[in-house]
Amino acid sequence: MAANRQGSSAIPEVLQDTNLPVILILVTLVVGIAALLPLVQTSLATSTGGNVSRLEQLREDWQARLHEQEVNVARLGSLDRIESEAQERLKMVAPDSVTYLRVDAPAPAPQRIPSRYLSEEEGPVEGESLWEEFFGWLPLP
Amino acid sequence: MGKRRFTEVWRVWAVMAAIVLATGVVTLRLVQLQIIDHAQYAADARLIHYGQDTLADRRGALLDRNGYPLAASEAAFNVMVEKRAWEDPAEAQAAADSLAEATDASAAEMIRIVRDTEAFEVPVARGLNYGQGVAVRELRLPGVRLLEGSRRTYPEGNLAAQLLGFVGQENSGLTGLEIDLDSILGGSPGQVIYERDGIGNQLAFGDRSEIPSRPGANVVLSIDRYIQRLAEQELDRAISDNKAEGGTIIVIQPETGQVLAMASRPTFDVTKPDLSDNSKQALFRNRAITDTYEPGSIFKLVTMAAALDLGLVSPETWWYDEGVVNLSGWSIYNWDFSANGSQTVQQILSKSLNTGAVWLASLCGPTDFYDYIERFGFGVTSDSGLSGEVDGRVRTPDSDPEGWRPIDLATNSFGQGISVTPLQMAMAVAAIANDGVLMKPQLVNEIIDPLGGQVVEPEAVRQVMSAETARTLLDMMGVVSEGVPTAYLDVPGYSIGAKTGTANIATENGGYKPDAYISSLVGVAPLEDPAIAVLVKIDEPEGVPWGTVVAGPVFSRLVEKTLAYLKVPPTEEVFVSGLQD
Repeated sequence: MAANRQGSSAIPEVLQDTNLPVILILVTLVVGIAALLPLVQTSLATSTGGNVSRLEQLREDWQARLHEQEVNVARLGSLDRIESEAQERLKMVAPDSVTYLRVDAPAPAPQRIPSRYLSEEEGPVEGESLWEEFFGWLPLP
Repeated sequence: MGKRRFTEVWRVWAVMAAIVLATGVVTLRLVQLQIIDHAQYAADARLIHYGQDTLADRRGALLDRNGYPLAASEAAFNVMVEKRAWEDPAEAQAAADSLAEATDASAAEMIRIVRDTEAFEVPVARGLNYGQGVAVRELRLPGVRLLEGSRRTYPEGNLAAQLLGFVGQENSGLTGLEIDLDSILGGSPGQVIYERDGIGNQLAFGDRSEIPSRPGANVVLSIDRYIQRLAEQELDRAISDNKAEGGTIIVIQPETGQVLAMASRPTFDVTKPDLSDNSKQALFRNRAITDTYEPGSIFKLVTMAAALDLGLVSPETWWYDEGVVNLSGWSIYNWDFSANGSQTVQQILSKSLNTGAVWLASLCGPTDFYDYIERFGFGVTSDSGLSGEVDGRVRTPDSDPEGWRPIDLATNSFGQGISVTPLQMAMAVAAIANDGVLMKPQLVNEIIDPLGGQVVEPEAVRQVMSAETARTLLDMMGVVSEGVPTAYLDVPGYSIGAKTGTANIATENGGYKPDAYISSLVGVAPLEDPAIAVLVKIDEPEGVPWGTVVAGPVFSRLVEKTLAYLKVPPTEEVFVSGLQD
């Protein structure tokens, strides 16, 4: 009996006081959660990747629609269309004679090229994300 | 016992032999797959697991001088189908029917294209608009994907068709400025290689490498869409009124050499160019630079400029017109066979006397006369940058010592026996209006590129004659136009200078086409400070062929509207009301 008591005293007191099955369950849970983490991480990454692809597609769609609208604007502003609208919808007719007036006001400034055809100015450079900064610190090749 | 032992050993050896044989077969097969045919299988695997796309960016726009697009690009989609995805006829038919509904294309044709191809995937429908593209994408058909590109559109329709040109299926220029500026407009395509899943979709976290594309630059032309349209309308009207074969109108800004309008007829439908009919391909060429003609009497301006600039004559110099010049066995008469007696140099131009032009050329002599022809830019391309531009033909004693004869000097003096392009002739007249400075014809004003644009500055070629001579010649042109009945040549409110011409049409065998003429007129306006120089050329009009009658009214209407559009104030007399300065 005395020997048994000495053997029991070698087990840490915490374990002696706690139910072993509970410990095993806890350990199993921790291991299970740890095993699930990479899966969750991969799932999140895949989901983020899908979102990025979807947003890229969305951006390309808007770009396509923008270009389509630019062409539509150009068609609406074409001389043939203006003349047709003037004659058919507004019932305008070509003048029989021209009257010239001299006014003190200066002539309108020459028309500028529409901004959509000008080269894009460089936008502000966006700051790096925390992750990019972190990887920047590492001595990676 | 011994027999049993032998049997057991035999069985063991048999099993071992079978294992060795199987191992050998497997090894040999592995050697074949992984070493001998490695490249083939690796390529097949790449084809299945990796997709490769060319990233075509937007082609730059061609804009008129005020920024209105004459040619622009919008997104367009090609539908790509993998051959293996349509191997099952029933599935292929179902997919093709769905695609046909979304794209207005023929299902049978799509199936035929996929069946006949040897490629991994093939485009079955091209140039879909945004709405059609979205409809196809939403079908989510296996093995079917959209490839985005762009489609060329011409918002102003067929305006300046021959000048602008058109692009092919691959969005590269085929004719006109579209091909001449292809390297600027086209940008540079990119490329993407990506890992894909079993139905061809890109894997979110698969391998991917991309070389980004670069969009093309926008190009601002010197063409003004309003003036170009006016020129084309007037040209169409003149051809219709005179039942002519065709014609050309060019409007130049003398000070800069910028081409404000360049119109030729016959033309083609730039929105649907017919490449299948070879006979119609001649319509694609820009006749203002590719075709030459004998200019006729408008060339007397060059002869006159030479004689005036050399100080040989003045507008008041007298000369006696006998009505005929006999030279080397040839007799040269005036266009109306008249003999006018004592005439001034001004009258030589006003009455367009051939005999007077011959006299002026003989005063100059061949060396100086051809020197001025060269200085005006004839005989060489004008360096407009347009492909297909020709030199024209000027035969001089130096260039063709064997072929040149003194009679050539005489006929050249009134614009026969020499061939020029309409653009060369227009630029020569613009030089007279620009204090004698010949400018390089300018068709591009600015290149707008995301990586840095470029503004094209006007470029002077040379001083052809003194500014005083140019002014004198302008005044003489003013007198010429005053002598033309206002029914044919009149721009109310403005003084103009002009010279008309009616030229024979040379044939390939060296003679002239009977009863066929080119009626032309070159002019400047306003005379005091020319804002525009104009060439009007009408080919083979029926009825009265005189340049005054055929080309004069065209010039009058065109210039009147153009000057008002350019806000060039008319002379004081026409102001009827308003606030005076």
